[in-house]
Amino acid sequence: MFAADNTNTTVKNTTHKVVLPFYLYAALSLLAATILLLFSANAFTQHYFHPHILAITHIMALGWGTMMILGASHQLVPVLIESSLYSPRLALASFILAAVGIPLLAYGFYVFDMGWPAKWGGRFVLLAIICYVINLSKTTSKSKLKNVHAFFILTASLWLLLTVAVGLALVYNFTFNFLPEESLSYLPLHAHTGVIGWFLLLVIGVGSRLIPMFLISKYKNEKLLWLIYSLINAGLLFFLILFIFFPAGYLFIIPVIAILFSIALFGYYCYKSFTLRIRKQVDEQMKTSLLSVLMMLVPLVFLISITGWLFAEKMNEKMTLLYGFIIFFGWITAIIFGMTFKTLPFIVWNKVYHDKAGLGKTPNPKNLFNNNVFVNMILIYLAGFCLFITGASLANTSILTVAAAVLIFAAVLYNWNVIKVLSHKPQKP
Amino acid sequence: MNVITNNNIKCTIAQAALESVIDPEIGLNVVDLGLIYQLDFDETEKIIFVTMTLTTQFCPMGESITAAVKRVLEKTFEGENVLLKLIFDRPWNYDRISEEGKQFLNK
Repeated sequence: MFAADNTNTTVKNTTHKVVLPFYLYAALSLLAATILLLFSANAFTQHYFHPHILAITHIMALGWGTMMILGASHQLVPVLIESSLYSPRLALASFILAAVGIPLLAYGFYVFDMGWPAKWGGRFVLLAIICYVINLSKTTSKSKLKNVHAFFILTASLWLLLTVAVGLALVYNFTFNFLPEESLSYLPLHAHTGVIGWFLLLVIGVGSRLIPMFLISKYKNEKLLWLIYSLINAGLLFFLILFIFFPAGYLFIIPVIAILFSIALFGYYCYKSFTLRIRKQVDEQMKTSLLSVLMMLVPLVFLISITGWLFAEKMNEKMTLLYGFIIFFGWITAIIFGMTFKTLPFIVWNKVYHDKAGLGKTPNPKNLFNNNVFVNMILIYLAGFCLFITGASLANTSILTVAAAVLIFAAVLYNWNVIKVLSHKPQKP
Repeated sequence: MNVITNNNIKCTIAQAALESVIDPEIGLNVVDLGLIYQLDFDETEKIIFVTMTLTTQFCPMGESITAAVKRVLEKTFEGENVLLKLIFDRPWNYDRISEEGKQFLNK
């Protein structure tokens, strides 16, 4: 027999009120970005430093990728480190500031007005990220458990802070010209701290916990994860040092190899998790997430090519454009597609059925969305994605326009399924 | 599946009832998953002591699962209180899944 013990209970879930607005905002951002693609198809036949491309990239990076990850991490971090979220109010402040800042920033880029819209947009986004980093640091510091996943997430948030701070500095540099070079020169630094430091580190940190959990896998390898963590951070730091102090040279291949190796190791980690899984059936959402791990390698191949061209002092603008497109519309979007419908239905299920569990039959979380629509959305998106790459490669506006229309259709299907989950009402017995 | 108890008959009834508590992610009930470690029945104080675990300590559905276990036992054994203890010092492992559970997961 034992005494009732309230301390050794389950983890504290973050309230859905904090998390769900991020998911909805991200879904609408994807739709907005694809609509802008349609109106800006011609821009993708030109230089990548085009106002419309900058606007779309920031909607995808901040409105779609970052907002989705911020929402999911407010839910997942407490679960990963067994501690409740430090402040739901800070999380809400983070959402409101980012929600206001992102459209302002995107508008500033779209019309290329680096005055108040871009500056205020950047300031709001920076404040949002500061709120997020404080919340995450406080949450992590009060947790007794310090695991590798928490380090991944916390370090990623610091890289995000640096990315956004550099981004705001670049916006100011358009007006005040205080940096030694023009803003375009710093784009690789801004982009790679964001893509590698924020997105890659966070996706691996969270994915390395969620993928074995959803597969019900026996595989565990914390040492390997620490190695991946070290390789990514060392690679990125080395890149920054090279970029600032030795801007031209063959040494750039070293960080690229470090990142490539870390991704290969994470691929191995996922493969082992997959082969040692207890549950044989793998649903479409997990297949999409696993596919996105493979897709990490595609932009790396482009990066190696671009590095090769840089070395030959022959910058290929088209390759850079495709590199960015594949990262945001390929890899990041694929992982979010998969993970949305692995996490969102559970959050909503917990909201709707938490008080009803055990009192009668409740639907399975995966029944909260339409799986057929999900599968069709993936296929349509894939078609639009490949078509867009073809159009950009051939600099053909007609193909780009058709591709953008196909991508809009996929984004509508995604939004439809997200809204279906969000508006789920308890079924009557 | 290997549930320790001080009352075999009541334990069998309790396990049959708990088969209705499903882990929403896995789709398998808590008994076949082997999440229930111990079920003791205090006939004098009318208390049911449940010692159980979760597939992972980080399970976001944990609160719902434990709440459901309590509700089902309170409904099955009316008038008895349920005290539930969640433990992780003897972590759940795959060998605890029943044969039926393994067949279900291998489908």
